[in-house]
Amino acid sequence: MSTVVDARAVARSRRVILRRVLVGRGVVWAVLLGAVAVSLAPGLYMVALSLMDNPQLFAGRLVPRPPHPENYPRAWVASNIGRLYWNSIYVSTVSMVLTVAISALAGYGLGRIRFVGRGLVYGLVLVGLTIPVQIALIPLFINLRTLGLINTPLALIGPYTAFGLAFGTYVMTGFFRGLPRELDEAARLDGAGDLQIFARVMLPLTRPALATVAIFVFLQNWNEFLFALTFLTESRMRTLPTGIYALLSSEFYGNYPILAASLVLFSVPVLVLYFLFQQQFIEGLTAGAVKN
Amino acid sequence: MRHRWRRHATGLAFTAPALVILAAFLLYPIGYSLWLSLHEWDGYTPRWGAFVGLENYRTLAGDEVFWKATLNSIVFVVVRTPLEVAVGFLLAILLNRRLAARSLLRTLFFVPVVMSLIVVTLIFQRVYEPNTGLLNTLLHGIGLGAWAHAWLGDPVTALPAVIAVSVWKNVGFSLVILLAGLQSLPQDVLDAARVDGAGAWQLILRVITPLMRPILALTALLSIIGGLKVFDLIFIMTRGGPTYSTEVLATMLYREAFEQNHMGVASAIAVILVTLVLSIARLQALVLRESKEAGAA
Repeated sequence: MSTVVDARAVARSRRVILRRVLVGRGVVWAVLLGAVAVSLAPGLYMVALSLMDNPQLFAGRLVPRPPHPENYPRAWVASNIGRLYWNSIYVSTVSMVLTVAISALAGYGLGRIRFVGRGLVYGLVLVGLTIPVQIALIPLFINLRTLGLINTPLALIGPYTAFGLAFGTYVMTGFFRGLPRELDEAARLDGAGDLQIFARVMLPLTRPALATVAIFVFLQNWNEFLFALTFLTESRMRTLPTGIYALLSSEFYGNYPILAASLVLFSVPVLVLYFLFQQQFIEGLTAGAVKN
Repeated sequence: MRHRWRRHATGLAFTAPALVILAAFLLYPIGYSLWLSLHEWDGYTPRWGAFVGLENYRTLAGDEVFWKATLNSIVFVVVRTPLEVAVGFLLAILLNRRLAARSLLRTLFFVPVVMSLIVVTLIFQRVYEPNTGLLNTLLHGIGLGAWAHAWLGDPVTALPAVIAVSVWKNVGFSLVILLAGLQSLPQDVLDAARVDGAGAWQLILRVITPLMRPILALTALLSIIGGLKVFDLIFIMTRGGPTYSTEVLATMLYREAFEQNHMGVASAIAVILVTLVLSIARLQALVLRESKEAGAA
């Protein structure tokens, strides 16, 4: 008798637990999916707007029907986006390569060699990590103007290289420091100098860190707005962010679908890269915090 | 002896390029700004104007807009950071389990972090648009039309609206850091708590949150520093308006320098901003040290 009751009670309590687990899981999924929807909705809204015409937009539609894909070629021409792409790619890439190369060298020096002033240099790097770049805005503007470099690619390549450098050196130093000591001891016994050890032995091993730095710095350069806004005033020199910003005050002000199409064209390369290299992106963008 | 000199020289040689560039683009501008902040200058006459001592700082102290901008910067940070950390932590806890879709969800949550601020800003300008924007359209759609509002046009709602965008953009960042933190928690402690019969809530409040305290603090400090530097978002979205209701230190700096031609005053703002950020970063260093010691103990 009592065993029957027990079995029933056990079955009931099992059902209760199961229900609780299922409800709990349902809530978790509801929250997560809701949050994903909120994360993605604005981007999808932008894509929808980029395919509308103004009457649809003013009717407050959410779905473009019929779609107007011709907004894209119009946006391409209106914002001269080919030119903007080229300027952005050029400035972002050159600065990225410089930053990566210089931070690799500095990272080796700081991470593997004990020399006088090492603490000082590293301290400077740490300050560079946190300091607001706005401090350099006015001094750089004035000096670039004096040197006649306003409206040249150099006006951005210099500052971008420098502002990525603190982060790059920080990451590379940490990485070099973590490599095993036996590596350079063995190479030194074979008679290799520092330059050889750096280039032949160490550098190939730091590829993941180099990728992290490259992605972080490229994205930062690609999106940079304040310096581009201040140092480039001629439309033919502009990079994507300021070029699209300039659309706001052009004849296309009020034609939001064209603007939205430009925004999509601007975002696509980065989003494609992101989905291809998500692990590196996420590591790159959080490296400054997580490495601690 | 010679050997040692050689080592010093090699170290310096490897770091020299970085050192030169950091000196030129970091140290020199800091010194330049400090010195310029003690002068009067319109930015156009070939030579700086008169040395005025602390006059620019005094001008700022008597300027209502400066105090408004400082207050807004503080409000921006004080509202944004807890939201960012709390929402990020909640999502991280929900994601920290064996979900088939975990890495996909993490990837999707991180999309706003990767998006350019100008894109984000222009989208949200449209979302907040009073007549046909997404937000008011949705409110009308669910019968809350009475709540529809000129979100960016009203000085009362403009700052909260801008903060909401900032939180939206950065939650993914907090989430990733906090998720990494959760995954590095000592599994045996969590198992022990579970064996002792701790429920999900107890586990989160009594065990996980205390263990995560250093990482939560770090996330918060990063968010505070990022919040004080905010420029693009506000400059593009509201230009600091309406009536300075969203003006922050960085936008005021830009306006003073390039619209009002007050280079001295603008430099003073830059100096104040840097002082503020570096003091908070100092705090970060202290917290990190504390957390390292706690980890070692």
